[in-house]
Amino acid sequence: MDKIIIHIDMNSYFASVEQQANPLLRGKPIGITGKHGSIAMSGQRIKVNTDGVHDRSVITTASMEAKLLGVKTAMSTWEARKICPSLILWPGDPHKYSEITERFNKIYNDFTTKVEAFSVDESFLDVTEEAGDYFTATFIAQMIRARLRAECGEHITASIGIGPNKLMAKLASESMKPNGLTVTRPEDTLKLLDSRELDDLCGIGPRIKQRLNMLGVETFKQLREFPLDSLESEFNRYGTWLHEAAHGRDSNVIQSSTVHGLRGMSTETPKSYGHSYTLPRNTHDKLIVKRYLLGLADKVAWRMRRDNFAACRITAFIRYGDFSSHAEQRTFYIPTNDGHKLFQVAWQIIGNCFAGEPVRLVGLSASKLTHKPGQQSLFKKEQKIQSVLPALDSLQHRYGTGVWTRGSLVKTHFKQRSSGFHFDHLV
Amino acid sequence: MHELLNDPIDVLVSFKDNRVFPHTMRWNQKDYKIKDVNLVHSAREGSKRVFFFSVSDSNNYFKLKLDPEVLEWRLVELYTDG
Ligand SMILES: [Mg+2]
Repeated sequence: MDKIIIHIDMNSYFASVEQQANPLLRGKPIGITGKHGSIAMSGQRIKVNTDGVHDRSVITTASMEAKLLGVKTAMSTWEARKICPSLILWPGDPHKYSEITERFNKIYNDFTTKVEAFSVDESFLDVTEEAGDYFTATFIAQMIRARLRAECGEHITASIGIGPNKLMAKLASESMKPNGLTVTRPEDTLKLLDSRELDDLCGIGPRIKQRLNMLGVETFKQLREFPLDSLESEFNRYGTWLHEAAHGRDSNVIQSSTVHGLRGMSTETPKSYGHSYTLPRNTHDKLIVKRYLLGLADKVAWRMRRDNFAACRITAFIRYGDFSSHAEQRTFYIPTNDGHKLFQVAWQIIGNCFAGEPVRLVGLSASKLTHKPGQQSLFKKEQKIQSVLPALDSLQHRYGTGVWTRGSLVKTHFKQRSSGFHFDHLV
Repeated sequence: MHELLNDPIDVLVSFKDNRVFPHTMRWNQKDYKIKDVNLVHSAREGSKRVFFFSVSDSNNYFKLKLDPEVLEWRLVELYTDG
């Protein structure tokens, strides 16, 4: 049965929040960078580098003005400055963004209990029952926009799409930026699809588009007419999804869960916990890489323990100075949320392939999550560690992260940052 | 020019509807009249919550931090055009 779904997507989110906070940035091309500046001590003044020289960060969000001048998300700050010399680089402030995210999701929750925070700046709302029809849904969307304006600020704008399912609502919201409101009733979905490119649809990436092109499929109309069994033999179950999507159908439901959300905000249950870190300088030193990896593993483990999860799979990745990279995963039977264990597995992967080339980034993620804590270990030393971890965690809860660090980490200092790919300050 | 700092400041405020409105701040023996409060947000610092006020006059952007436990204000960020 058709639903009425509203998709709300903040425009140039991090940049808009900064322009809301600071009027001197409004109307200007700004780029939010990954790394946050350090914290000044009393009496100290630290000049923030706004010109990108010596900066090895990437643009996580470009303001609307910067986008018009060609600056794109994930561009290196160096490249962005070359394209747009007037670009103001501004270090991201993850705490601010996550509070605003919480704030707008709370507003959405006043209109329906079925809210899915899809990403830091995008949410889906199921208003099938609350609205009843598209006219009322449009009215709800306008009320939400008025509340966003009043409670988050007029410079934090959103594009809103309304449709019979998540896929169509998202495609609709993307058709008008910034500040758009696009309504696609069930009878309009084919028209909407036919006005867009294949890879405009969430779920069709450039590689799939290429494969479809090779089959002679260039448009959604052609995709609809392509025999389902041929699609399925080419793409398996994904072929079924493609066929349905081309007809504007999507059976995905809103996944609202408040239990394991980001600090009480409703999100879907996490599928993985991950952290990555771009080193301040490329390094050849195995020991330094090892230290960072252990620090990351501890953070991932702490977040899992906080949310009462343990993982059965570790993926570790490493990126070298020449941007080549390596990622590999290991799966095991007994779930764990001990940072040292995560580290050991990750280091097995990374240590094996790392022969001293300059390293730029390391990261790991823990997946195949389970709520069941691992069985009691038979080994005394492990048992000891397991009993000490909850105590360390309560310290971390009270005083923020960074209170306890393993002895070998003392020299490793993590800079706080907001990355466009891993919104990962929530340690 | 964008700077991060951490200077104790004096702030003249009013209270209305359980909210705090900063009006004037004194920093480095100079008074700055706050024209706009653009955004207020909070953040956890360990077990306590602190508040950040992003405010501006016509030439400067200031980020002020309020520690409600000790009622202390600090200037933590400054941006001046050009
Ligand atoms: Mg967005």
